[in-house]
Amino acid sequence: MRSTQPSFEEERKALPFLIPALLVLCLISLYPLIQGISRMFYTYQALTQKTVFVGLQNVKLLFSDHLFLRAFTNSLVWTGVSVIMQFILSYWLATMLNSRFLRLRRMFRGITIIPWALPPVVIALMWRYIFLGNGPLNMFLHSLGVAHPPNWLTEPRLALWTCIIANIWMGIPFVTVMLLAGLQTIDKNLLDAAAIDGANYLQMQYRIIIPSVKKVILIILTLETIWTFNMFDIVFVLTKGGPGNASLTLPLYAYENAFMYYQPGYGATIGMFILLCLLTVVVLYIREVLR
Amino acid sequence: MRMHPLKQILLHIFVIMFMILLIFPMVLLLFNSFKSEAEIFAAPMGVPKSITFNNYAKVLTQSTFLINFKNSALVAFATVFLSMMVSAPAGYALSRFKFRGRTLFSVWLLATQSFPGIIMVLGLFVMLRTYHLLNTLPGLIVMYTSFSMPFSIWLLKGYFDKIPVALEEAARIDGCSRALSLVKIVLPLSVPGLLAVGTFSLLLSWNEFFFALVIMRDNAHYTLPVFLARFMGSGGVVQWGPLSAAALLACIPVLILFILGQKYLVSGLTGGAIK
Repeated sequence: MRSTQPSFEEERKALPFLIPALLVLCLISLYPLIQGISRMFYTYQALTQKTVFVGLQNVKLLFSDHLFLRAFTNSLVWTGVSVIMQFILSYWLATMLNSRFLRLRRMFRGITIIPWALPPVVIALMWRYIFLGNGPLNMFLHSLGVAHPPNWLTEPRLALWTCIIANIWMGIPFVTVMLLAGLQTIDKNLLDAAAIDGANYLQMQYRIIIPSVKKVILIILTLETIWTFNMFDIVFVLTKGGPGNASLTLPLYAYENAFMYYQPGYGATIGMFILLCLLTVVVLYIREVLR
Repeated sequence: MRMHPLKQILLHIFVIMFMILLIFPMVLLLFNSFKSEAEIFAAPMGVPKSITFNNYAKVLTQSTFLINFKNSALVAFATVFLSMMVSAPAGYALSRFKFRGRTLFSVWLLATQSFPGIIMVLGLFVMLRTYHLLNTLPGLIVMYTSFSMPFSIWLLKGYFDKIPVALEEAARIDGCSRALSLVKIVLPLSVPGLLAVGTFSLLLSWNEFFFALVIMRDNAHYTLPVFLARFMGSGGVVQWGPLSAAALLACIPVLILFILGQKYLVSGLTGGAIK
């Protein structure tokens, strides 16, 4: 056994290997992070074309901004529904792909992985076409006898949900593949033994399968929550946050402020809010893992 | 053990339904790329009646597609190369040495995932402007390298852990330095790990949209995702035929490389997550 306290000698030897990564980390990760956060204390004045220090004024603005509240609720719905539905559908698909009674398993698994490689922009434009008023989905609904199928992308009540559907589709390959890998590590004898003892489907799931893949489930839920909350591409390409602000999410609102309304300070403040939300998720994950 | 035949049939039906849902949007894209604009809306779901290559011709000759493709390829190639150069030594240090802050690594890995794009881009914007890297490919390459680094280090550490230290010790007795033993002994044995990192950073750099959108200012510098978004957004009416052709051309090279490399990426990602 090595001692728990690293020796100076060893740290000295490790350092040269770490220098490139540490340089990249400090220059292109930590420095921009701090620089970016510091922007929240400044505001750009169009009249004088100067950036001035305003302290916490942007934060005060945030709490009285109805559009921010709207974007935040949208973000919560967008993330919550996406992550839960991705997980349920992927779990279902993964257990089926893991079944030894399924023929052509390798082929089906191969197909499941493919959408993982597609750029989110391409996924979004595919779905934008599908959801067009005179597009394939409505054509299909029409043939089923729906007289007036809705306008998925321009109906304020539906726009966010339309984006969520595309996002769920995008996440299924990754989540399924990770879950499947977890399921494959479960000892088959354990399942057989439980089946012989007369355990039913639900008992198998709750007593054996889910506890065995708990670690994978936790990391998947954490990563997907973070990625989805930060997701920009899908909504930007599908609806740009519209109609009105019906599908506006926080990353989009931050982008609009920073790069369209010339309010980088306010954009950074929204970014800081996102960061705090997500760091909470990270802390919850770490606490759960350490428990 | 056997499954009730009816249950088994249901199992297959459900799986096939999932497969159709996963494939269908991509098939529509493929069909549209070979249809005329009129046919796309006359029969949105049908197989192309008369195959036309006009959409491809239009994309290749009347747009900046080839330039943007070259940009994407350059950025991806450089990001993959740099990610490996930076991550391999760091992964090696994590796998072989003990040092303070080592346990912080996985926390940092998750934390970087949670950094909002808007904050990073505002911070990087100032820096890139100072060094005249705005609207340049090197600016993007540097950013993507830093984004892919945490996962790449983690993937490689996992692979290095599996290589017996004894192999290196034998070489070190013969006077081989640490760095040399990484290059000569460890790396050749971790080709699957390097392929996993390659696939991961390829996907990341080829597909990234937000940072490229903000950093790149003109057509000649766009990468493919920005080109596609602009192509769709320009001129009011969306030209679905040429857009589908461009989207398909933008996906195919990476799709092929991904299919070749996904085995390594999946085993690298899941290997680490399950342990």
